[in-house]
Amino acid sequence: MIQTIRVTSSSDGDPLGEDLRAEIRRSLGLAGIAHVRTAKVYRLEGLADAAQAVQLARQLLAEEIDQRWSLDEPLITDADALVEVAYKPGVMNPEAASLLKAAQDLGLPLAAADASREYAFYGILAPGDLERILARLLVNPTIERVVTEAPISLVMGGEPGPTAVIPLCAMDDAAMQALSAGGLYLDLVEMRAIQDYFVELGRDPTDLELEVLAQTWSEHCVHKTFKADLLIDGRPKPPLMRRLKEATARHDALVVSAFVDNSGVLAFYDGWAVAGKVETHNSPSAIEPYGGAMTGSGGVFRDILGTGLGARVIASTDMFCFAPPDLPAEQVPPGCLAPDYLLRRVVAGVRDYGNRMGVPTNNGSVHFHPDFRAKPTVIVGAYGLLPEAVAQKARPRSGDRILVMGGRTGRDGIHGATFSSAEMTAQTLTVNSQAVQIGNAVEEKRTLDALLACRDAGLIQALTDCGAGGFSSAIGELGEELGVTVELERAPLKYPGLAPWEVFLSESQERMVLAVGPEQVAAVARICAVYNVEVTDLGCFEATGRLTVRHEGATVGELQMAFLHGGYPRRTLTGVYQPRVADDRLPTEPADEAAWRAAALAVMGHPNVASKEPICRQYDHTVQGMAAMGPFGGPLARTPGDAAILTPLLGKPYGLVIAHGLNPVLCALDPYWGGLWAGAEAMANLVAVGGNPREVGLIDNFIWPVPDAASLADLDRAVDACVDLSDALERPFISGKDSLSSTYRFPDGTVLKIPPVLCVSVFGRIPDVARTVGGEFTRAGATLVLVGARDLDPASGYGLGGSTWLDTQGLAGRLPPRVDLALLPRVLDAVHAAIVGGGIVACHDLSEGGLLAAAAEMGIGAGLGAELELGGDRLLPPAGGGWEGGPAVGAELYGEAGAVGARRAIRRDATLFNESAGVFLAELADGADAAALFGDLPHLVIGRTLAEPELRVRDGEGAPLFTVGLDELREAWERPMRAVFH
Amino acid sequence: MITSALSGPRVCVLKADGTNCEIETVHAFNLAGGRAEVVPMNFLRSGAVRLADFDALALPGGFSYGDDVVSGKVMAIELVSFLADALADFVAARKPVLGICNGFQVLVRTGLLPFGRLGAMQATLALNARGRFECRWVRLAASGSSPLVQGLPERLELPLAHGEGRFFADASTLAAIEAQGLVALRYVDAEGHSTAHYPENPNGAAHAIAGLADPSGRILGLMPHPERFVSRFQHPAWRLRPLDKEPDGLAFFRQVLSLA
Repeated sequence: MIQTIRVTSSSDGDPLGEDLRAEIRRSLGLAGIAHVRTAKVYRLEGLADAAQAVQLARQLLAEEIDQRWSLDEPLITDADALVEVAYKPGVMNPEAASLLKAAQDLGLPLAAADASREYAFYGILAPGDLERILARLLVNPTIERVVTEAPISLVMGGEPGPTAVIPLCAMDDAAMQALSAGGLYLDLVEMRAIQDYFVELGRDPTDLELEVLAQTWSEHCVHKTFKADLLIDGRPKPPLMRRLKEATARHDALVVSAFVDNSGVLAFYDGWAVAGKVETHNSPSAIEPYGGAMTGSGGVFRDILGTGLGARVIASTDMFCFAPPDLPAEQVPPGCLAPDYLLRRVVAGVRDYGNRMGVPTNNGSVHFHPDFRAKPTVIVGAYGLLPEAVAQKARPRSGDRILVMGGRTGRDGIHGATFSSAEMTAQTLTVNSQAVQIGNAVEEKRTLDALLACRDAGLIQALTDCGAGGFSSAIGELGEELGVTVELERAPLKYPGLAPWEVFLSESQERMVLAVGPEQVAAVARICAVYNVEVTDLGCFEATGRLTVRHEGATVGELQMAFLHGGYPRRTLTGVYQPRVADDRLPTEPADEAAWRAAALAVMGHPNVASKEPICRQYDHTVQGMAAMGPFGGPLARTPGDAAILTPLLGKPYGLVIAHGLNPVLCALDPYWGGLWAGAEAMANLVAVGGNPREVGLIDNFIWPVPDAASLADLDRAVDACVDLSDALERPFISGKDSLSSTYRFPDGTVLKIPPVLCVSVFGRIPDVARTVGGEFTRAGATLVLVGARDLDPASGYGLGGSTWLDTQGLAGRLPPRVDLALLPRVLDAVHAAIVGGGIVACHDLSEGGLLAAAAEMGIGAGLGAELELGGDRLLPPAGGGWEGGPAVGAELYGEAGAVGARRAIRRDATLFNESAGVFLAELADGADAAALFGDLPHLVIGRTLAEPELRVRDGEGAPLFTVGLDELREAWERPMRAVFH
Repeated sequence: MITSALSGPRVCVLKADGTNCEIETVHAFNLAGGRAEVVPMNFLRSGAVRLADFDALALPGGFSYGDDVVSGKVMAIELVSFLADALADFVAARKPVLGICNGFQVLVRTGLLPFGRLGAMQATLALNARGRFECRWVRLAASGSSPLVQGLPERLELPLAHGEGRFFADASTLAAIEAQGLVALRYVDAEGHSTAHYPENPNGAAHAIAGLADPSGRILGLMPHPERFVSRFQHPAWRLRPLDKEPDGLAFFRQVLSLA
């Protein structure tokens, strides 16, 4: 028997209902709904009688101080419409475990429980309105349903599924292709290799064996493209991965571990090391943004936890690209979700996982472009702290036991690895619903606590996380060099009914796999019991050279490790660069003061520049007590920080600085210059707060369309940019990830390539956080200096390609602003030295919105204005041209490409809005001399701070161009995200 | 990572599944001269560790048991079901108890706050008026006669980070709280006035209540996080603050230790 308890607020106030009402009004334009009320619905099974249900209601489920409740009868009876939304059967509700625990603590025999929510609508609902609300805002059919009939039982039953033998050996190519399209996503060459292997063995494969091979050989897991030999525009080139790794080997100071573990590790101080990893989670987030973002966070946290013999997760970052939130509904492709829904739900997922884990989220960015309408880019990063002595990737010994620790295994996320490697179609949302689950952050938190206790007790021999590919990937990789035997029936399941291959491939979250000496297993179990964590012995590592999987005594899979990990066909991929169609159009320069002000407000109000405060405030950025620079600085706490600064060792002055660079459109314009921009932007963000550019590690994330010849050639150029950046900075990439599935196929077969994105993350150490600066102005009357070279070359559109300014005018431009790699490290070093030496007291790098946005943001957090004289900057030489050198101190140097000193009227909109990376706006200390600080590096004394809260811009000839109040700028800057988040 | 003093009062920093501020809370106590240690709930439940062996108890922040149902509820039930006697003895021995954020939510749901009645919940900390989690710094004014708030700066700044911090009780309970002087901290505006205005009062708390003490004055709960402001670098505008000004959070831990 199921008992149902409904709980709602006893007053009219209902913040959840009010948020939904506002959301209905904003996104659907339904103004007739006056009020929304919500109720929690608990379904309970196993209690003896009504008296026990009443006890549970009074002691656990309802608080009569401000709530009322009902047992087995409706609670809200006066609404114009009432619907209940629940998770679909099989989607595990994390709340259920807490209900069972609390009932047990109260001595009540609760056997199963579920929780859902009722929504009551009051007001005028036209026919179809309710359906629109449900479809658009409340019910994601991937995981949720409207409850029309109460369930009969909450206990899930079922018998283990069988293991099938697939008649592969006799298949022709067409049959193999059909088999692959059913969920393996392997190409024909790979299918033939597998067929050959089994023909030689003289038997057909089991379903488990085929699934293991498909997972292990998936693009997501093996990175076939990055490991392939290349033929680019007819010229052979080494594999992308090899080029990155070779650059890393050239610059490996401070590197503890690079590209071999679940994250990259750098030396920190006092025997500690810091780990960094950045992951993409685009495909799951596209179909179920809340669960997808949660599992993205959970996965990258486990990557940190699974580094070396275990690291504590101390920071999280998130970088998103969406279509603009106000994209008209008819432009959302079939099978895709509306961008504002995606944005709100992704933010909620990141929030609920990170906050509950107690991991501060203190650096990130959100970008918008219509070409992300079919699939967002969702990037989540995590950073960790671990003793350097246990920071190396370890290997199991023969005889070690395989332990799985943490959550149970369900049908969640099956085919996640292969799915992530495939392009999206209109069918994706319905076909791949198994690929998404709801994360359980508390499960991961207690697993982390138990695992680090085991680490500190010296019990762990080797370790990895269960991510894409589940046990198959984790156990298969740990056992690669030895061999492994798994007794699969021992795996604890969320519910019965899974076939062995499902258990082995499931991507259920919150699981870690450990190799532990047999004599240590009992000690691990004791620690796990303290933290309420389940741990199970699944078998052993032994020197067989084989992956052997058994289920209740029967062998359900046996593969040679050599074939599993080395048998996929090597390939040579061909890339052909497709030159861009030149679009040289530029907007007309604003004609008068009113036009200039409008331009400035349009740039500040562009969603890419706009304040992301309503997002940042939902993330806990102070937990763990390490924050020495949060997302907003200044006495008014409004100036966005360029980077996060943490003090990982509490009580010590050592700083960990974390930053990133990403632009959603520049790589589409030019993958080389766009890629360099991302790297220079990451470094500039780090240096702007006081980070040391010489003591960092870099992380790459390529989010690229499925690499056809054109996209592969683009990818090749972006990798060139990373290698050139690494060599110029003499700093390494130590971790990275490629996600090569940013392609959407419309029902009619046309293809939308989502813009290629390179996100470069950077983290590094500084000895003393006292020697850092904020972005906010510190006082009136201070000198402002622009440091670094901007690409203002008229020949390439004044470096305005892809800029916010052009986008507000409906233009894209031609070439991204270029970066001078010979100059960049010198500028970074000089700015770093000036910050450490006290010459710079406030600093912000130029990025989206250019000089205008930088000055405005520095002022908004301080309540101080600025006066800017639009001088010119030193020009960047044309691509491939020589750098002429020579001083540019305080001078206005305009000219044709590379010609230094030639004066030429330059566009003032370009000087105000150019988004060249690696350029800083700095407030100098009293008595500091720009020439002494920056010598022969390009720098320009460009103005001063003002007590008046306004920006005064002069035209470079001493005449006023326009003045705009900080309040006006702030209003424009805050409006876009406030509209989405209320 | 955690430095522990060799002497000083012994503090139990109690940890349940999902507690996530225990390390910085231990650090804050040790910085203030205590000997704090993280004690997993199961150590107390099994008897492996006795609460009576400690001089002070802290319930740190986090999301105990996911804050499922409502924040702190499942942990409060666990305490009342299994550790009621040990808690009652601890309180009767006049040993100090500090609940921060989730710990405050737990103390309110056990009934220990505001009136010190274990098992009889009298007030609640409900979903923020704006319906979601929020992280920001707030201004606070200390008040009341609890020895735990003596020695605090009259006005202070601390960060908070929670989704369910809106203090609520019925009118007569609020009147009793005020009459007995149990309000320990209120949200105030820049002029120091108690406020209902967002974001100075970030969650819509009744009477701008951010923290409460019990009638004995030895149990203190607060939504803001004093352990997140024990180093000057933790303040978002630390570069503008005087170098010698003590971080506002430290005094809370010193006061707890002084009563231990």
